[in-house]
Amino acid sequence: MAERYLTCPLCGFGFEPEDALCAHGCPLRSHCALVRCPACDYEFAEQPGRGSWWRRLLGSGTAEATDGECEALSVDQLRAGQTASVLSLSGSRNKLAVFGLVPGIEITLLQRRPACVVQVGETELALDREIARRILVRRPGGPPAEPEGILGTGGG
Amino acid sequence: MHRLLLVGNPNVGKSVLFKNLTGRYVTVSNYPGTTVEVVRARTQLGDRSVEVIDTPGINDLAAANDETRVTSAMLERHPEDVIVQVADARNLRRALLLTMQLAELDRPMVLVLNMIDELAAKGGRIDTAALAEELGIPVVRTVAVRNHGTERLAAALPRAAIPSLENVEVPHGAGEYERNRLRLARINELMEGTYSLRQPARPSLAVRLGFWAMHPVKGLLLGALALLGVFWFVGLFGAGTLVDLLETAVFEQRLSPAAITTLDKMLPFPHAHAIEAVPGSVAVPLSPVHEVELFAWQTEALRTGYTLTPGAELTAGQATRRFVHDFLVGEYGALTMALSYALAIVLPIVTTFFLLFSLLEDSGYLPRMAILVNRVFRLMGLNGKAVLPMVLGLGCDTMATMTTRILETRKERIVTTMLLALAIPCSAQLGVLLAMMAALSPAAALAWMLLMAAVLLTVGRLTARVFPGETSEFLLEIPPLRRPQLGNVWLKTRSRIGWYLREVIPLFVAGTAVLFLLDKLRLLERIASFGQPLVVGWLGLPREMANALLVGFLRRDFGAVYVLDAATGPEAILDPLQIFVAMVTITLFMPCFANFLMIAKEHGQRVAWAMTAFIFPFAFLVGGLALRVGRWLSGI
Repeated sequence: MAERYLTCPLCGFGFEPEDALCAHGCPLRSHCALVRCPACDYEFAEQPGRGSWWRRLLGSGTAEATDGECEALSVDQLRAGQTASVLSLSGSRNKLAVFGLVPGIEITLLQRRPACVVQVGETELALDREIARRILVRRPGGPPAEPEGILGTGGG
Repeated sequence: MHRLLLVGNPNVGKSVLFKNLTGRYVTVSNYPGTTVEVVRARTQLGDRSVEVIDTPGINDLAAANDETRVTSAMLERHPEDVIVQVADARNLRRALLLTMQLAELDRPMVLVLNMIDELAAKGGRIDTAALAEELGIPVVRTVAVRNHGTERLAAALPRAAIPSLENVEVPHGAGEYERNRLRLARINELMEGTYSLRQPARPSLAVRLGFWAMHPVKGLLLGALALLGVFWFVGLFGAGTLVDLLETAVFEQRLSPAAITTLDKMLPFPHAHAIEAVPGSVAVPLSPVHEVELFAWQTEALRTGYTLTPGAELTAGQATRRFVHDFLVGEYGALTMALSYALAIVLPIVTTFFLLFSLLEDSGYLPRMAILVNRVFRLMGLNGKAVLPMVLGLGCDTMATMTTRILETRKERIVTTMLLALAIPCSAQLGVLLAMMAALSPAAALAWMLLMAAVLLTVGRLTARVFPGETSEFLLEIPPLRRPQLGNVWLKTRSRIGWYLREVIPLFVAGTAVLFLLDKLRLLERIASFGQPLVVGWLGLPREMANALLVGFLRRDFGAVYVLDAATGPEAILDPLQIFVAMVTITLFMPCFANFLMIAKEHGQRVAWAMTAFIFPFAFLVGGLALRVGRWLSGI
C-alpha cells in the first residue's frame, strides 16, 4: 500500500520508483539498490529507512538527519512550527489539491502528535502520518525564523 | 432569474446567508458538514419572488462522493439558475479554485466574500473591484453573521454574469489533479494584484486555545474539563435541580392535582384519590452528593392512585367515564405520565444539553477532538473524522445518522451508523443517564463509561470486519476557534427544542396509550409474566421493569425515564446494581423508531433489519453479563 516517493539528490526532481530510468528491462531488477533519476540520469541509492520505531517514538520531533545533502523531507519530518515549500505529492493528490496544497506552496507544520496538522494559506488541515509522509517539502534553510511563532513567517 | 443556488466551500457561512435572504432558519455551526441536505425557501427580492436553495459545502466539483453528490445533482438539475458562490474572504485561494470550476459551467454567477471582517482583523485586504474585473462577475462583501451586506447582494443579483475567465488549457488526458494544479497556478496570478495579507506577530488567544485543544496532553485536559462542565450543567443542574422543580413543584403539586380535580368534576364516578404530602426543594448542586439547599417545602397533593367507594356498583356510564378518567389522569395517563415525563423530565434536560452543545458546536472545538481520537478510531476501522457524527449523536442519533454522509467509504458510514444506534446515548437519554449516575456512586458511573467504551471498541472492530472495505485516510479541515454568537446559540437551541417537542410528545403520548390499553386489557400482567425469565431471571430486575423495556423499544429515552422514575422517584424499587443493569441495557437499545427509518433510508432495509436483529439481543446479553459481574464483585 505504502507508496514510495523518491527525490533525486542532484536535481531535486521527485518521482515514483516505477518512473526510475533503469527500472524496465534491467536484469538486476529488484536486487539492485540503485535508482536512476529520469530527469538528470543521476544514479543514487534509495533513501534509507526513517530510523527504528523507538527513535520515532522518543524523538524530539526533529527530523532525523539521514544524510546531510538530502534536499527533500516529508512533512512529518519537519519540526513543529517550521515552514517549508512543497516539492511533490503522491497518492491521492487531488484530495490535497482542493485545499490548495500543491507543489510550490508554502506550508507550516503546526503539530505532529497525535496527528499532523499543517497550515496551508488560511486552512488548517489535520492529516494522518501516512498522508504526511507522502508530502515532500524542501528542507528549510537554517533554524526556523521564530521558534515560538507558530504562525510562521507570512511576509509583508 | 427564478432560483438562486448558494454554493461554496464548507463552513463559509452559506446557511447564515440563506437565513439573511429568506428569514428561514437552518442549523448553523462552526464545522464543515453541518448542512447535508438541500434546504429551499421562497423570498421576495425587489419585485420578484425568488427561490433560494442552500446546498452542502463542497471543495471539489468533480469529486464523486456522497458529500458533494447532493450539490452536484442540484447544479445539474437547475441549469438555468443563478449561482451565488459564497466564499470565506480569508481563504480566497480555495474559493477561487471552486470559482474556476464553476465558471466552466458557463452560468451566471455572483461571488460573495463573506467574513470580510475576519479578514480585516487579520490585516488582510481584497481589491473587490479588481477581482470583479478579472472574473467578469459581481463581487459582493458581506458579514453574514451580522447581516451586513445582504442588501448589496440583493442589488447585485440582477447583474449576475457568466464569468469571462478563460478556462485553463488542459493537456489531453490530464486528470483532475493536473487541472486543479493549473487552475491554482492561474489563481496565483489573479491574487497577485487583488489580495494581501499581513500576519500578526503574536497569535491571538483564540488561536492559542485552538492549539491547546489539539495538543495530546492539554487537549485531553480540556476535553475532560468540557465533559465535567456538561455533566454538571446537564446531569446535576438540568436533570437534578430543574427536573425537581418542574416535576414536584409544577406537576405533582399543582398541575396534576388540578387536572384530577377538574376531571373528577367533569366525569364523576364514585371514587376517592389518595392525598399525600409531597416534599419539594430547590438546591444548587456542587457534586453528585453535595448540594446547597435554598428552599424546601411540603404540600398535600392529590395523587393518581384512587380507591372506588366501597359497595358502589358502577353503571355503564360511570364505567365509561372511569375509562376516560384513567386514560387522562390515571397511572398511565396522558396528562399524568406522558406529559409529565415529556415536559417535566425530558424538557429541562434537553434544554440544558442543547444549550451547551450549541455553544460547543459554534466554538469550533468538535473537529479538534477528531485529532485526539484518530488513533483510537483506527482500531474500529474508522478515522478521526467519524467523531463528528458520533458527537452529534449525543444530540440526536437520527440526525447524526444522516451526517455519516461526510464519511468517505461505505464501510465507515455503516460502522458509524451501527455504533450510533448501539452505544451513543442521545440528548434526552444522556440527561436521564447523567441523573441516574448522580444517584449512583461515581465508581458506577465510571464503570458505565468504561463498559460503553469497551462495547464501542469491540462492536466497532467486529462490524469493521463484517463489512469489508477500506478505511479512508484521515484528512480534515480544522475551522478556527471562534467566540460563539449568543444569538445563534439561542436560535439553534430554540429550534432544536421545538423540533424535539414536536417529535417526542406524540410518541410519549402514543407509548403511554399503548401501556394504558395493555393495562386495561390485563395484557400488561401477561407480558410481564411472559418476559419474567428475561427481565427477572436474566437481568435480575423487578417484574415492573418489563414496562420500561417495552416502551424502550419505541424510544429508548422513554424507557430510561421510566427507569429513572423507578430508581429515584417516590416509590423507588431498584437497588444500585439493578439501576446499573437497567441503565446499561436501555443504553444499548436502538434509540427510537425514527432512527430505524433513517438507517433504512440511508443504507437500505437489509442493513436496518440486520442491525436491529443484532442490537436488541446484544443489549440483553450485555445487561445480564453486567449483573453477573456486579454480583461477583459485590460477593468478594
